[in-house]
Parts: sequence; C-alpha cells; structure tokens
Amino acid sequence: MSIRKGKNYPYGIHIPDMKYLCASSPIEVMPAPNKLFISLSQHIGAPAIPVVAPGDEVKKGQIIGKESGAISANIYSSVSGKVLSIEEIVNGVGQKQKYIVIENDFKNEEVLFPDMKDFEAQSIIDRIRLAGIVGLGGAGFPTAVKLSPKSPLEILVINGAECEPYLNCDNRLMLERTDDIFKGINYVAKALNVKRIIIGIEKNKPEALEAFSKYEGFEVVALKKQYPVGSEKHLIYCTTGRKVPVGKMPFDVGCCVQNIKTMIACYEAIELNKPLTEIVMTVSGLGINSPKNLKVAIGTPFEDIIKYCGGLKENTVKLVCGGPMMGKALANTVKFASKTDSGLIALSGEECSVAQPSNCINCARCANNCPMRLMPMYIESCALAGDFVGAEKYGAMNCIECGSCAYNCPAKRALVESIRFAKAKIKEAKQNGK
Amino acid sequence: MENNGQMLVYSSSPHKKAPRTTRFIMINVCVALIPACIAGIIFFGYLAAIILALSLISAVISEFVYLLICGMNFKKICAQFDFTSCVTGLLVGLTIGVNYPLYAPVLGSMFAIIVVKMFFGGTGKNLVNPAIAGRIFIFISFQSVVTEWILPSGNPVTGATELTGMLESGNLSSLSLLDMFLGRNLAGCIGETCKLALIIGAVYLCAMRIIDIRFPLIYIAVTGLFTVALNGFNFAYFLPSILLGGLIIGAFFMATDYVTTPNTKAGNYIYFFLLGILTAGLRQATGMETVSFAILLMNLLIPLIDKIIINKPFGFTKTKKKSVKDN
Repeated sequence: MSIRKGKNYPYGIHIPDMKYLCASSPIEVMPAPNKLFISLSQHIGAPAIPVVAPGDEVKKGQIIGKESGAISANIYSSVSGKVLSIEEIVNGVGQKQKYIVIENDFKNEEVLFPDMKDFEAQSIIDRIRLAGIVGLGGAGFPTAVKLSPKSPLEILVINGAECEPYLNCDNRLMLERTDDIFKGINYVAKALNVKRIIIGIEKNKPEALEAFSKYEGFEVVALKKQYPVGSEKHLIYCTTGRKVPVGKMPFDVGCCVQNIKTMIACYEAIELNKPLTEIVMTVSGLGINSPKNLKVAIGTPFEDIIKYCGGLKENTVKLVCGGPMMGKALANTVKFASKTDSGLIALSGEECSVAQPSNCINCARCANNCPMRLMPMYIESCALAGDFVGAEKYGAMNCIECGSCAYNCPAKRALVESIRFAKAKIKEAKQNGK
Repeated sequence: MENNGQMLVYSSSPHKKAPRTTRFIMINVCVALIPACIAGIIFFGYLAAIILALSLISAVISEFVYLLICGMNFKKICAQFDFTSCVTGLLVGLTIGVNYPLYAPVLGSMFAIIVVKMFFGGTGKNLVNPAIAGRIFIFISFQSVVTEWILPSGNPVTGATELTGMLESGNLSSLSLLDMFLGRNLAGCIGETCKLALIIGAVYLCAMRIIDIRFPLIYIAVTGLFTVALNGFNFAYFLPSILLGGLIIGAFFMATDYVTTPNTKAGNYIYFFLLGILTAGLRQATGMETVSFAILLMNLLIPLIDKIIINKPFGFTKTKKKSVKDN
C-alpha cells in the first residue's frame, strides 16, 4: 500500500533526535545474568501475587506472579533457575516494589503455552491476558483490557512514531521483524473486529515506512517529525483526523492505539506460545561507551546492562530510564528491566541542562508549544501558590507530561514537575471530596 | 550514586532542555540595538555616546546596588545576572535627546530599574516596560528644562517637530521619505531617527527567533492605517506617520518585550491591534508623540487580556465550556 501523509498538527517542538548513536546497530541479545530481580508490579493496577516460594525451582516461561483483579497482569520467569527470595526493594526511581529474586542456572529450560485451539477473538484476548502482555510503550496498561472495549471500535492505530529522542528500539524492530509485527497486528485487529488498521511512523524512519508499505491491508501514514506526535491523542489526530475530546479516552472516538512492541509480544504469545519474558530496549546517550539496541530478559539489573554496554563514561551526569523527555531519572543503578522500560539513557553534562531556574519572563514559549494547548506558566504559578482549583482551571488534568514546555523554557523552570504536583493534589482533593 | 566519584543528578523529566536561556535572549536584544546606537552616535556626535554609556552603566549599577542592599551576595548576583538591565539601560538612553542634561539618563535608568523593575520583584515581574517608564519619567520631569529637539546638524528645533507639525497643521513634512528612513535632517531621540539601523536590529531579532515579526508589523500597519483614516483617508499620511517619531523603535524593541506582552497568540493580536489604534488616536488628539504612552497604557491592560483569553485545550468541546464557567 502506498504511504499517506499524516495530518499536520501545528503545536509541538523539534528536538535534535540523537538517533544516530545507534540507529543502525541491530538488536543484540544480551545473555541473561546470574541474578534477576523480577518486579511484581510492572503494569498499571494491582501488583501480581507471587505463586512461588523461596527455594522453588522455576523454568523459563513459568508463571511466578498471578494477576490480582481486573487490571493486573501475570508475571513469568525469564530464566530457569532457583527462587532465592521475595523482597521489597526501593529502586532508583524511588518506587518501593516487591521483587522475586531468581538465580540463573544457565540450563535455559523453557516451558511454553499449549497451542491455540482456535483463533477466535475471545481466545486471542484470553491468550494475551494469560501471557501478561501490557502496553509496552511505557504506560503498562494491560492489553487484554484495552482489547475488550465497551462499544465496538472502528480503527486500530499502531504507534510506530517513536518521537522520543535517542530511542531506537521500535525502529529496529520495525526493520528486523516486520513480518512478526504484521501478524501480531492482524491478530489484534481480529480480536477487536476492526476494519481499518493504520500504522503511523515518523518521517525520520524512511526504511521502516518502506518496509510496511509492502504489506496489503493497512494504511501507512508518514508523520511529520515533531515531538510528541507519538502521544496517543496526537497520533489519533494526525492519522485519522479525529480529536479525542477533553477528558475522554481514545475508544470514545472509536480508536485503539497499540505499540509496536506490544504487537510483537502478542505475536509471540499467540503463534510461538511464549509469555512476555523479554523486552527490547535502547541503551544510548553520550555518557555510555557503546550505545546498543538490546534484547534483555525481564529482571536484568541495569548495572549488568551498563557493564554489557562498556560502562559509563566519566562525564555522565544523569541516568534516565525511558526516553529523555518523559523517562524517569535514576538516583542509582538499583533498577531492573521491566516490561515497560524502553531505554536506558546516560546523559553527559553537555546533553542535559542542570541550570538553576530563574524568574519566568512571560515569553509564552510554553503555551505556544504546548501540544495540549494549556497554559503551563499559569498552572505552575497556581501550583506553587497552592491554588489547585486555579491549576485545574488552566487545564492541569489534561497535561500529558510530554515536557515540551519545560524543554523550551529559557528560564529553565521545572514546569512539568509543578504540574505533576498540581495533578496529584487535585486527584487527592477529588478522592477526599467523594 | 557515585559514578567515578561523581554524583548523578536526580530530577524530574524532561531531562533534555533547549540551550536557549534568558541571558542568551537578552544579550541578543542588546546586540540588535547596536546598529541603532552606532547610527545615533554618527548623527548626534560624542554626546550621544556619553548618554548611552551613562544610562547603560547606571542601569546595571542600580540593579547590583539594589540586590546588594537586599542582602544578596555579589557572586550570586553575578551568577544570576541576565542582561535585562542592559537592555533597559540602552533603551532609556536611545529614547532621549542629546540636549538633556547628563544626569537625566542616570535618573531615568535608576527609576526604570529600581522603581519599575526591582520593586515589583525583578526580571519578569514588572507590570510595565521599565524602559518605557524610564523614558516617560525623564520626558515629564525635564519638560521645563528641555523644550526643543536637536537636529543632527546640532541646531535645535523649536516648537513642533516633523511629526507633531504634521499632525497639528495637517501639512505633510517637507522631508523626503528617504530622509525620514535614514534619519538625515530629522530631529528626535538618539535611537529613533535612523529607521534603517532599527530595522537591521529587528531583522536580527527575527532571524534569532526572539520576536515574532507578525506582531510589530500589525502594530505599525494599524497605526499607519488609523492615522490615514483619521485624516480623511489621505494615504499620503501612511508612510510619514510610520517613519516619523518613535514608532519603529517602540514596535520592535519596546512593545515586544516578553514580560509586557500577553501570553497567548490571540491575546497578542488583540494587544498589538489596540496598541496601534491607541497610538494613532492619541497622536491625533494630543498632537504629541505618544508611542511610549500608548505602550504604557496597554501594558496595564495585559492582566485583563490574559485573564479573558486563555488557550483552549486540545479536544476542547462546548459542553466542557459550561462546566468550566460553573466552577
């Protein structure tokens, strides 16, 4: 099918994408380390309940954490070995989570799901749920829940934008596993019973656009290179022209957005009968010695990943889990690969600004570039003054935390941080009110 | 965490930021004013250079002294110095004539920085443009001392200037448009006569993406057209009303000051449109050069504009509007 141009959205920012660091390096499989720490809450919703005890022998692909509740996901062991302990650890991002610690015995014994009896919509959804697949773009919302909408949907939008700078894993997957993605998309489309499938890819990935244009059955949309075109609402607008109303979800306009990596996970779960035990992530930044695209076992400590990539350079000032625009900074390397991690970026001093904030000069760059058309400077001043009603009035709850405002701020104000604070306070007030 | 003895920075996203800083912007505005300063010195001689130097230095010293009195230590003041007071100082110097006593620019800069800027909380907190307020302070304070403008030749012009003469008598100026554009034989402030130099600076600011060219152009065009309309649709007034007086420097360097412009695109359109109407109307009504007064008045309207006009969120629907109003 021919490539169609996406709808133009005038608000957003242009960031040097820095993808050259590892755009052409193929995905390497990193051998599983000695010890893995598998978190029980790698998704939005209730943490999984451990079903193994210390001392148990587990195989690769064996269930170790069972979903608890409707919005939750199963957790599987990513190596064969012995469960050492189940402990609570505060990771480098600052989250206190329960981890199952597994010692790798390097026998690599694997258990698989039984073959699918049929490929009906419900069996596909059941398999996706069983395999513990969540939105791998970063949100971590259980995919099976997303695939059972209340009202029928019309369009499945596949997010191949990858608008975050540095990150390359989706791009590499689109080049190396085009067939698998195509099959995964078809299964998901069948489960959703949608007629139209659209895949949106940023223009700076011409090879990926080319690769998908060979397949029949879906529309390939070339998106303008602009951050944050990969945000759910903006992707829907740019590919279909539909606007998701304020406070509504994509299914309200008949769309479902899925990530490239999620599609591969679905394909593996359905055709190869494999649960989700591996993720592909980009290790990049000027602070790391050899940037790579890696396939790692879930639970691999970041310290091992850094070592595998040649270690950190001396000029590293910041470690980021995820992309540099929306990812979380790490206070230390106590972090273990989870389902939603898409990158580990080591930023050197020249790449990230650590300047102190100064007075706002009202330049309105934040408001002019905000992709959600909010007034970040007002939300910030309201939040700092403790006026959370005012912050809500200026649209704090609509913020997608993309960071466009703070990126452009000449006074280097921590706009996103203040808006997050306001959002938390508004949510708190609403819960107390009810 | 220790990384080869170095601490990792832990902060909120985004972790990448654009290299542009407040200081960079303000230094570039100063650079954009250099052509106007050079033109002023060429036309009005060494006195212009002295006035510019005095106003610039006294503005910077005022800021430092004020902050020192407030108890900030010198190193910290230097670290956070963002060159806004340089812009203010230069603009104060550029908008007075060479026949003012030499303490006038010093007083003007001190008033602009201390009273208009620092009393309100420093950079970004001032309600009105400090340079405009400083200029008006000098203009009003020295009305009885300075009654005439100086021509580049050194001769004073008593009574009406080219602009006020045109507005009062309705007779078009005898100067050619080229003379007005270059500032030859044109009496006025140091920086406002040579439009060529100002436009070079404005083009530089646009090229550096510091100002949005649309808004000053709207201001200039509306002023010109409204003057034409007030004079019985005589289009001969259009270019002289733009080229005479301080409209060009006001439009490109004073009205576009970030702090004293509305925060939305829509608000800016309204602001610059009203500014044009107000300038032309006041000029016609008073027979005086009123660019600075118009900007001062409109600056005071900005909080109102910003209160009324805010961006509508992406995906905004009308039903939502009601609930916002109810709150």
